[in-house]
Amino acid sequence: MITQVYFWIFSIVALATALGVLVSRHPIHAALCLIGTMVSLAGIYSLIAAPFLATLQILVYAGAIVMLLVFVIMVLNSAKDEHTPRWDAFGWAALAPAAATAFFLLRILLGADAARSFALRPTDPPAARGTVEALSTLLFGDRIGAWSFLFLVVGLLLLSAVVGAVLLAKHRLDDPAAPSTPRPGGH
Amino acid sequence: MGDLQPIQLQVLAAILFALGLATVMARRNLFFVLMGVELMLNAANLSFLSWSRTMPGAVGLEGQLAPIFAIAVAAAEACVGLAMLLSVFRSRESLDTDAFDRMKE
Repeated sequence: MITQVYFWIFSIVALATALGVLVSRHPIHAALCLIGTMVSLAGIYSLIAAPFLATLQILVYAGAIVMLLVFVIMVLNSAKDEHTPRWDAFGWAALAPAAATAFFLLRILLGADAARSFALRPTDPPAARGTVEALSTLLFGDRIGAWSFLFLVVGLLLLSAVVGAVLLAKHRLDDPAAPSTPRPGGH
Repeated sequence: MGDLQPIQLQVLAAILFALGLATVMARRNLFFVLMGVELMLNAANLSFLSWSRTMPGAVGLEGQLAPIFAIAVAAAEACVGLAMLLSVFRSRESLDTDAFDRMKE
């Protein structure tokens, strides 16, 4: 019962802020709305007994990814971009396929009796909850399983993404004509 | 109103996914496109988690491992996406998606 109350609060906040991302005018407003969505989703994760994922959601999404977005928006302070309209004819037309996607997803979900027959498992034994201990036992418990191999691959992916980002964001690496001295107080 | 049903979480995930898709397709500013992608990834994570809670024991917990990797991939995607946005903004001075119609500058 109390779970339902929390679920409705969190889901209404999540939907309202996601709608805010869609309609807001300035990207920084959208980024702040996105933080609201992330935090309320973290609340829902902890409602369904996934405390580690809830922490990760706040740390990585609200803390790192949206922070990076806000940082870049502030660096490019012409992000408001007055030249392009917020909505044009194509934008209105593009809402139709999104609405169709929602319609068919909901029709499949609500139409299938099988989807309703599932119930959330009880979270009484602490081993059934997604705590750090349980998840790390699954990840690293047996010698070199599929999950721990995947973990190493993700480490390589993150490393190459960071190197690629530095290469992309730097001016031209081997162009001697390009001004190579950083601006005072530059980033 | 009884206990929380997984179908409620799935409906929430579906609506969030559609809102993210609408943001990606309808908005012209590149920042909004990136944020819409993040919204869609979040909806997928929510769907993963709520189905994983319907499975017994270790199988249910393995369903919670997949969103960890999805979050890591989302971090890498945001990192590279924002770097591309920065480098492309330097050459075009615009954030309109229509300005970026060539792969090579």
